[in-house]
Amino acid sequence: MMRLDPLSVSDSTTDIKAGDPLDGYATRSRTSPIRRLLLLLAPVIGVVGFLAIWQLSIVVFDIKKFVLPSPWNILGGIEADPMFYVRNARTTVWESFLGFTIAFLLAMLGATIMALSKFAERAILPLAVLLQVTPLIAYAPAIVIWQGFGLKPILIMTSLVCFVPFLINGVLGLRSVDPNLLELARSVDASRREEFFRLRLPSALPSLFSAGRIAVGLALIGSVLGEFFSGSTGGLGYSVKTAQAHSLTLQLWGSVFVLAFVGAAATMLIIGLERVTLQWHSSQRP
Amino acid sequence: MTHPTTDAPSPVGTNEPLVSISGVSKLFSRRGRTVEALRDVDLTIGDGEFVSLLGPSGCGKSTLLRIIGGLQTADRGTVSVGGGDVQHARAAKQYGLVPQAPALLPWKTVADNVRFLTSLHRRGGSEQVMNDAEIQELLVTVGLAGFERSYPHELSGGMQQRVSLVRAFAVGAPILLMDEPFAALDEITRADMRYLLLDLWSRTNATVVFVTHSVTEAAILSDRVVVMAARPGRVAAERTIELPRPRTPEMEDEPDFHEQVRRLRADLREHHA
Repeated sequence: MMRLDPLSVSDSTTDIKAGDPLDGYATRSRTSPIRRLLLLLAPVIGVVGFLAIWQLSIVVFDIKKFVLPSPWNILGGIEADPMFYVRNARTTVWESFLGFTIAFLLAMLGATIMALSKFAERAILPLAVLLQVTPLIAYAPAIVIWQGFGLKPILIMTSLVCFVPFLINGVLGLRSVDPNLLELARSVDASRREEFFRLRLPSALPSLFSAGRIAVGLALIGSVLGEFFSGSTGGLGYSVKTAQAHSLTLQLWGSVFVLAFVGAAATMLIIGLERVTLQWHSSQRP
Repeated sequence: MTHPTTDAPSPVGTNEPLVSISGVSKLFSRRGRTVEALRDVDLTIGDGEFVSLLGPSGCGKSTLLRIIGGLQTADRGTVSVGGGDVQHARAAKQYGLVPQAPALLPWKTVADNVRFLTSLHRRGGSEQVMNDAEIQELLVTVGLAGFERSYPHELSGGMQQRVSLVRAFAVGAPILLMDEPFAALDEITRADMRYLLLDLWSRTNATVVFVTHSVTEAAILSDRVVVMAARPGRVAAERTIELPRPRTPEMEDEPDFHEQVRRLRADLREHHA
């Protein structure tokens, strides 16, 4: 299960979580094969059902294509120029990936210091909360003014927005190590390095994966917003912005669909990685 | 305050003292209140002896165990292990610890878990650690053969605690410190574990310090039982258990055993605040 921490505002992975059989209800025993199949298909039924209702509403209420296109039209728009979306998605994914990674590395450094020093934790935590509660969209222009146009401000925004979930869950995870295990390590005079790498880091993995799932969505928000503000000439955020400027409704929605797909795929990737890595953990058991 | 009564100063089956504790006191402060966890504890543990620390909760028996293991420091008094201080003993991997909870690494298999203490701080006490064949023999003894590649969550509580026992023995340490290792197990499993522990111990020359609040457990396992009392934590009495080895489940039905248990119960009652 995803660990929800009070400091994380993002809930962007919940829609994808429905497809996550870790939730337990999909693996209950003594269900008939038909019911099992139904539960397995439930996520697909949910998404397709939603799109079908959307499609139907467009027809029933006769909504104009340039106001709100139907899903079928949007998918058609993507199909008309797939390379346009692939090219822009590649830019945004790369920015998100870099920001995500930078945030992870810096947050691990911070979390390590905070986990080892109560003083550091108390000193850094308020800053982390401030960073978390300040809307990125408000300080994004300030970053562009300070750093100028280009990739740099985008990466700064993306890593800032991913940083806090990794930091908070990192501290939580590094602290979550069984005190009996720490005592055992001390009974044979293990070094602090051994204690960290052999006990604390593995204990932190479940929390870090939770943070990763949250950060995937945040990274996309960060890079799209970055593209809005930093004069980009590529990326799905740039595509959305130009679509708005030229009233290209289909391109706007196409970009949104591709963003949703990219986010879902990245989350699936993390869930898969989590399942392989954390076979031992209680969250991975039926 | 009552003074300690000692019925047998020289323990059974031992040569020279391995652990010497003299005048050890320890205070704890909790929310402004000071608790005397230990007051003026004197105790000598012989090489190869099986000693139980028996007493009610709050008598400082776990604190004393942790002080012997160098995991806590005494406020006053001295503890020496093999003539040196406890920190040196710890650095030389002289201790095999069995905590109350099995405390296994959930991400490691049984085979890796039993080698966990051995694999930490490799330079300390490297010549004493058990080799793979010896560890495998212990796993067979405790009935874990075939479970080497299992993960802790796949094992029952009793099996996990057996892994924890093997892990401590695998260090090859001369002193085994056990902090109520069977307290969380059900009564039937616990009874089996006691003889399993004696079986493992009989293969080594190790000294065991065993913390328990079970009178029968102390009586069936130990060469000597140190009865402790609370408020302040102190040694109330020491009893040598005059039962032959190897100990067997049948002995628990014999009058000799009941006599040992009766004496320990009397000691506990007499010093219970």
